Order: sequence, then C-alpha cells, then structure tokens
Amino acid sequence: MDVINGVTLKNMLLVAARNLDQQKDMVNALNVFPVPDGDTGTNMSLTLNAAVKELERAENNDVNRLTTLLARGSLMGARGNSGVILSQFFRGFSDGLAQVKAEATGEDVARAFTSASNTTYRAVMKPVEGTMLTVARVAAESAEEAAQEGKDAAGVIKAALLGAQQSLADTPNILPVLKEAGVVDAGGQGLVCIFEGFWAGLTTSPEEMEAILAEQQVPSEGPVDVARLETEVLVNKYCTEFIILGEGIDPERIRKKLDPLGDSMIVVGDDHVTKVHIHTDHPGEVLQFCGELGNLTEIAIDNMMLQNQEFSNHENHRLDYTTDNVVGFPQPEPSAPPKPVGLVAVVAGDGLAEIFRSLGVDQVVTGGQTMNPSTEDLVTAVNSVNAESVIILPNNKNVIFAAQQVKELVDKKVGVVPTRSAPQGISALMFFVEGDSLEENVAAMEDSLGEVKTGEVTYAVRSTVAGDLQIEERDIIGLAEGKIAIVGSTPDQVAFDLVKTMVDEDSTVISVYYGADQSAEAAEELGTTLQEEYPDCEVEVYSGGQPLYYYIVSVE
Amino acid sequence: MGKIHVVTDSGSDLALEVKERLGIHVVPLTVQFGSEIFKDGVEISVADFYAKLKTESEMPSTCQPSPADFVAMYEKIAEPGDTIISVHLSSKMSGTYQSAVLASTMLDSSIKVITVDSKAASMGLGLVAVTAAEGVQAGKDLDEILSDVQHVIDHLQVYFVVDTLEFLKKNGRIALAQALVGTMLSIKPILTLVDGEVAPFEKIRGKAKALKRVRELILEFQARSREKTIRAALSHATAPEEAEQVIDALKLVLPVGGEVVVGEIGPTIGVHTGPGVVALFLCAV
Repeated sequence: MDVINGVTLKNMLLVAARNLDQQKDMVNALNVFPVPDGDTGTNMSLTLNAAVKELERAENNDVNRLTTLLARGSLMGARGNSGVILSQFFRGFSDGLAQVKAEATGEDVARAFTSASNTTYRAVMKPVEGTMLTVARVAAESAEEAAQEGKDAAGVIKAALLGAQQSLADTPNILPVLKEAGVVDAGGQGLVCIFEGFWAGLTTSPEEMEAILAEQQVPSEGPVDVARLETEVLVNKYCTEFIILGEGIDPERIRKKLDPLGDSMIVVGDDHVTKVHIHTDHPGEVLQFCGELGNLTEIAIDNMMLQNQEFSNHENHRLDYTTDNVVGFPQPEPSAPPKPVGLVAVVAGDGLAEIFRSLGVDQVVTGGQTMNPSTEDLVTAVNSVNAESVIILPNNKNVIFAAQQVKELVDKKVGVVPTRSAPQGISALMFFVEGDSLEENVAAMEDSLGEVKTGEVTYAVRSTVAGDLQIEERDIIGLAEGKIAIVGSTPDQVAFDLVKTMVDEDSTVISVYYGADQSAEAAEELGTTLQEEYPDCEVEVYSGGQPLYYYIVSVE
Repeated sequence: MGKIHVVTDSGSDLALEVKERLGIHVVPLTVQFGSEIFKDGVEISVADFYAKLKTESEMPSTCQPSPADFVAMYEKIAEPGDTIISVHLSSKMSGTYQSAVLASTMLDSSIKVITVDSKAASMGLGLVAVTAAEGVQAGKDLDEILSDVQHVIDHLQVYFVVDTLEFLKKNGRIALAQALVGTMLSIKPILTLVDGEVAPFEKIRGKAKALKRVRELILEFQARSREKTIRAALSHATAPEEAEQVIDALKLVLPVGGEVVVGEIGPTIGVHTGPGVVALFLCAV
C-alpha cells in the first residue's frame, strides 16, 4: 500500500484497539512488582478505546481530522501513567500528520512516528530508557530509515513494528529491574500490540482481526488465563454502560455483585453518581440489580459481536434509555460562593473515602489500586468542585501523571500534590490551610510528604525474585514505600513485620487502615499487638475498605 | 501619690506562690456543674474540679464575676488616691472584662481603675498580670507599667495542644477552629490565639508529635527574637509530664536565670479546654 487514506487509518486504529484489548491481560502480567494493581495493559487499552470512540465524531475521513480526534480522545481517556504517555504519543502522532488531508505517504507516516516519539519524551520529566519511550523512539528511527530508503506507507509501518519488537526484546538489557523480574517492559509491550494492530489493520478489518485473535492461542509466559482469553470473544458480548444516580451507593458492593456476571468491569463514582461499565451476557440482571440502588441514566448496551462492521454504525446498536440530562457529577449549588481553594482526592475504599471527606476533601474520585481514574474522571471532579482553584491528591504513583494533565484541560487553576499513597494524602491534608493560596498550600503540602512512611500488605500475583526475597504466587507481601520488604503467609504477620522495618526512634503515630477483605477483629488485634510492641507510639486502627490491600499502614 | 494594685481574674491560672510573692489579687469566676455552683479556687480546687469533670455527665459552664464582685475587691484593696490595674480574660471569650469595666464606673472617683483586655487566657493573662505586678515592685511609674503591659499583650505568642476539641466546641469557644471539628482521625491540633480568639495553628496527628512540634516552635520563636529577652509561661491541665518536656525545651532558650512561669489550668479555663492541655506562652521583650 503506497499511501494511507482516512478509511484505512481508521481501520488500523480500530484493529489496534481490538488487539490491545485482547492482549491486555498479557501486558498486565508484565508488571515488575507482582502486586495486583498498576495494570498497564488495562490502562493503555482503556485509553486507546476512549480515543477510537472519539473517531465516531468525525464528520469526514480527512486524515488530520481523524488524528486530531484521536489525540483529544486519548487525552481525556488517559488512565494511569502508561495511558498518559500513550495519549502524548497520539498527540505527537497527530501533530506529525497535521498537514495531511487525503493521503499519507511513507514520509508522512515516518514523520508522525518521530513526532510521536519526541512528544512522549517531552511528556515525562525524567525519561527512563528501556521503557515504552525507547520502544517508541526505536520504532520512529526504523520508520525514518525506511522512508529514506523510499519505502511506501505500508513499508514504513512494517519497519516501525519490527523496530519496536526488537527494542521491546532489548528492554530487559537496559533496565535491570526488568531482567530481575524476568519480563519485558509492559508499556513497551502495549505499544508493540498497537503497532501490530496498525500493521494488521492495513489489510484486515476489525471483524477479521477478531476471528484471527479468537483462533490464536495468545502467547502466554506469565500467569495469563488462556482459557478465559479464548472464551472472552464468545461470552460477555454485551458492552453495558450506564450511570446510577443516588446517594451513598457503594461501588465495592456493586463490583462484588456484578463480578460473576461478566468481565472488563469498571465501577467508579462519588457520593451521588456511579458509572458502571461491564461486558456481560446478562445485561438485564445487571440493570435490575443496579436499578434497585438508584435511578439509572445514560444506559447504553452494545452487542460487541455485531458492532464491529464499522464503528460509525455504533449508534444504531445503541439502546439509549436516557431518562435525565444529568451527566457526570452534579453541579454544586450555584448560590454558594466559590471557595478559594477546593480539594479533590483519588481514593480506593469507602473507609478511606470517608476519612478524606472528613478532612475537608470536596470530591473523592474512586480509584487508585484497582482502577486508575482517567484524566476525564479527574477533570469532571475538578469542575464539579465549587472553588476557584483546586488541589488534586492522586494518592497513587500511577495517577500523578494523569492528575497533572488536568491542569491543561480545565479553566480553574489546578495544583497537584504528588502524593503516592493514601497516608501521604492524609499527611498532606494536615498542612492544608483554608484561606491560604493554592501555591502556599501546595508548597506546604509537598513539604509534608516526607513526614509519613507508607506500608502496604497485599498478595503476589505471580512468582518472582525481589532482591534476596523469593516470592511465590499468592504469597503475602509487604511493601515499604512501594518496595517489597517482607514476604510471609498471613497478612497480620506481614503487617507486623513490615511496621518493624518502618518504625524508628522518632516515630510517634502508627496508623492501620484495614481493607475490605479484612475483619475489624483481626485489625484490632493487630493494633493491640503493635501497641504492646511500641508503647511510646499511638496506634490507631481505621476501616479503609480498600480492595486488594489487606492493610495500608503508616508510620509518622 | 497612691499605691498601684494589680487585679486579675481566675482565668489567669497563676500559682498561689506567684500571686502571693507579687501581690496580685484574683477575682474568681464561678463554675457550675448542673445546679452546683463553685467559686473557682475558693470553693473548688483544681484537683477536685478535674475529678468531678470525669464523673459528671453534664458539661460544666462558667459564669463571669458580677460588677459587684469587682467593686467589692477594688474597695477592699485600695485606699482613696490609689490606682488599680485590672487585667482580664480576652473580651472575645468572656464577659469578665465587661464586668470589670462596669465596676470601674461604679466606684468612688477617688480610686482610679484602669481596665485592660489581655486578649489572652490562662498563663497568657497570667503573664500580663505578672508584668504589671513586677513593674509595681520595681517602682516603675504607671505609664511605664502600662506600656510594658501593652507590649506583652501585643507580642504574646500562644500555642496550645488539647486532647480533644469537644470542650471548646461544646462551649462555643472555637468559632475559627470549626474546620478541625468532626474529623474521623484523632487529630491533636496545635491551637493559637488570634486577636483574642481561639484559632487553629496546625493539624497534627498524635499528641507526641504535636508536643514535638511545640518544642520546634520554641526554637523558631527564638530565631525570630534575636537580641531580645524571651519571657515564657506554661500551663497544663493534668499533664505534668508532657508539660515537663516543653519546659525542658524552654529552658534552652531562656536567658541565664530566666524562669518559666508555670501554672496549672484551673476550673475557669479547664471548663473550656478539658483535661490534657499543654499551653505555651512566649513573648520577646
């Protein structure tokens, strides 16, 4: 194929999105830390899906119009660090094709890859080699080389793919942590999946791709559940999305109830609005259960088996039971004067959400460990706060980047305090002074980050070696400041041992936030044991309600 | 030329020894538990008060002295031609100052009463009264004493840590600190006084950390007060060991021979702050 027109480009992107969606579990399994979160594959896939969804808005098939929509869609849909970097990739890709209307030549495509690579490097403050940045760069270099050799558009894309694959294989040689964990870089793998989709999309339609993927035994080195991947295209064919309006809805309860009914589940929300997304064969049951919790609106049920002819047909399959025009978060009472500085925090778990609210946070965005909120979720939350400026507490290292993107997307002044854990967020809130400016507050809150040490107790999702520690799948692991410090068999013992590594003579307060799957009695007992061990410290035990993490502990 | 007398109220938390040594007269407020009414320091001791606070279900309240109580005190201690400096609890917190002002207008004009709003409480008020009384003992003239007193009022820095905000909240003495109430975590805020009212200074988790921070604040105060002499007072409510930690830190910044004026928080203030309070008062002169 000499040149690429808009129709082909769209096809490439749709196939890439399908491919990444199919392979996301494999990408997820590449996490360096075997903790059940930081799902790179899921984040990149959701980001790309949001981006291709935006293509539906195209009124024509001009290449530059499509890429502009792609860039915008990925920016708003960006989840997690890898999602944000991917959105920057598409932003650069779009810039590279800004002058191209009808057909992109090999040179145009190479320029787009180079621009994409440059933008991703600029997006991160300290670029690290051996990550998806390297993969994007090597792909761009290969693409430029091919273009100079006079290759056509298809040839350039093939070169980019081959370059990316080679670069990906090389990532463990560049980044020692990858080698130690025996994996390639997850973000780089996600990018390769996208490039594979580009290549396949030149000649294959999304539905053909679907069939190919269904045939394929997905290459699996990690603990990927092949059986589930295979059946994924056969079952759970209805993509069901809606919003529940109602007070005090517990997302965790919905997740537990809906989990057996399907996959690709996302339940996010705040006090008043809960968004639900699930792939299921039983949309009726899903709606019935959730309808009992509150008023349903923005209901959309898509048959994913039928929907792939053209994404533009999408609207035809959409059952739209919109009952209310309220979308997203409710707007604040217009009568109240805006506060000078408002607060938004990203928190997983009802208990922690309640604690953050009690400390003055205006909007709690559910997310963090299981599901990184998208940039758009954060934009919506920031806009819903009745304040002139807003401080965001990401409370997770994988959300900080997305939070920083919000600054460019809202009219309000936004500050981000780069909190990496809920305890850091709580500590930062101690330094929030109502009446001080955004800048003063952000500076004081940033200074506080060193005041508290965070420990987390979870389980290993696969076997690995971390330093001197041999870890088996399902072992209980304790992380101090994000690094694996303790391996054991019970959450309580690991939590106790973990605290031991964190306490020093200056410590005064030990806080224990127990997770959704941990009993209050066990947590209280842990608290008592810790109090006996550290009589000079004040030990406090709270229900955090967070998923996956038995305990989050902090020492200050 | 008559004598100068110093009068304060029981919100000053001055120790008996200090009052006697400096000749400071104290008009008591009354503390009320249900239907039982006690004159602070006269009819109820500090120890009895905190014991009662533990057992009584109802929150106690305080009542300012009546103008007549002040008139009685003024007439008892002063001869015609004398002057009385009458320093009292912040007028934003208590009507005591208002009572004293009224009383001063009810007296025979042969006794001159100068009423002073200390804009402080506890040993902050105590420090103002001590400054006045020391001036009297040193033979300073009235203008100089009043100027010293004003300096302390204007430059007093207060930090205090409470075990619980419940008492301040129930008694409505925490308008500005409202933001701290109702949090789920056990926060031990450091509070301060701004223009005679309680205000939040910093939110801290855990009392040990709060006290550590108070010790740091002493050093910060010293750094701001170079070339000046620091005067310090401290009061506490049933927290002698925690008070001792702060006193040790204070000793490091005081001039040689300088003394920390220490008092126990009595019923008048204790009603509003509860047990476990450590309060620090600093002034550079």
